[in-house]
Amino acid sequence: MLDFKHTDRTRREFEGLSLEHLDALYSAGLRLTRNERDAEDLVQDTFLRAFRFFDKFERGTNMKAWLFKILTNTFINKYRRRVKERTVVEGAAREASNERFVTREPTESSSNPEEYFFEKLLSDDVIRSIDVLPIDFRLVVILADLQEFSYKEIAEILDCPVGTVMSRLYRGRKLLQRNLLGYAIENGVVQPGQAMELEAQAEDAEVLEFKRKA
Amino acid sequence: MPLECRELEKTFLHAYVDGEFSADESAEMKAHLAGCAICAETVRVQQSYKVAAGRANVAAPHQLHDAVRGSLAAEPYRGRWARALREPRAVAVAAATVGAAAWFLAGGLQHPIFRGGHSIVDDGVALHARALPLDYTASDVSSAQRWLSEKLDFGVRLPRFSQGPRLEGVRLSQVRSRQAAVVTYTVPAANGRRVSLLIVDDPEPQLPGAARRIADRQVWLSRAHGFNIASWRNDEIVYSLISDLDEEDVLALVQSAELR
Repeated sequence: MLDFKHTDRTRREFEGLSLEHLDALYSAGLRLTRNERDAEDLVQDTFLRAFRFFDKFERGTNMKAWLFKILTNTFINKYRRRVKERTVVEGAAREASNERFVTREPTESSSNPEEYFFEKLLSDDVIRSIDVLPIDFRLVVILADLQEFSYKEIAEILDCPVGTVMSRLYRGRKLLQRNLLGYAIENGVVQPGQAMELEAQAEDAEVLEFKRKA
Repeated sequence: MPLECRELEKTFLHAYVDGEFSADESAEMKAHLAGCAICAETVRVQQSYKVAAGRANVAAPHQLHDAVRGSLAAEPYRGRWARALREPRAVAVAAATVGAAAWFLAGGLQHPIFRGGHSIVDDGVALHARALPLDYTASDVSSAQRWLSEKLDFGVRLPRFSQGPRLEGVRLSQVRSRQAAVVTYTVPAANGRRVSLLIVDDPEPQLPGAARRIADRQVWLSRAHGFNIASWRNDEIVYSLISDLDEEDVLALVQSAELR
């Protein structure tokens, strides 16, 4: 019933296509589960599932995106239920626009593009800021900003319209950048005065306009 | 500030920074940025953010690379077959085509594949197949046993194999919300194949498979997802030896083991 030669050839082909994405899958898995052991389990599950369903993979299409679709589905079906994460997407987004507002003008620092504060932050701060994002935002931020998938690929991975990807990404980044700004002030990377201007940039332009008229 | 810039910020500027624009669109955007300090500022902030976000990536630990390779090598069935064996309907269809003679040879409904799955063994097989990293590395039975006795709520007696399997280490786990341990061995004589010993405190009286008397002990032999399993009981504790070795080799292994 089993042709082991064939099995070995398929296995080699699968390994040749998939193993190069192991680091990327782990990196994303770690930000999803926020825990090294769960991330390792998630990656193991992903590879085994992908191998079992390898005959469903259309040769010549995007292997990395296919693996990430399996990773996110496995995470959503299994780990997320276990973690019982609060989904507070709407609430968190509303909260983000309840901060103080400042008139938005180009800042002094804009004259020197090397001086942007995000790049001066430690990767630990970036990681902490990603990890506190609600899961729907965290997913798109991981796929777009850590893995650099295109909007279309993300839409395919998450099975949602491109418009949804764009709006979640925009709102997710806004939340994340606000946290990053907090760390930047804490670490003295930016001065509080400058921070207010930068924070204003992260705010929703429509709300800004409303506030200014009021 | 022109109204269109507020429209731009939301999606266009992000899409531009993300490289979603065609060459023509990018050129148009660059022309706008050259004359609009506000949009240009937003673009630089977002570019700076992208650089920072990229640094949040980490490499996978070495042992995960090894473990994934190991579990792929241990995955016995490929694609269609693997699913067919897991799907009762597909099994029925496949069985029908095999024909009466093969059906008879396979032992009909008594064949282990068609028996109700024993959850603990199924979980044990899943743990074995995944080759997860070890919590404690040990090559001698006494230190592994000592380590386990400190971590588990129940007493454990690891078998002593006179020959064959080499102890690699132990991982703590959970099976059906019960505490469990998985002891990993490799068998040098069988190309370093892995053998797992699942140890779980299981009050259920029924062990899966066919009972055999081996070296004064009742041992149950079963098969699940392409793996052979030999289970026995010591006090209230169930030990299941899981591997993709032939049934004959599994029997020989159990026979060679000092189980007390």
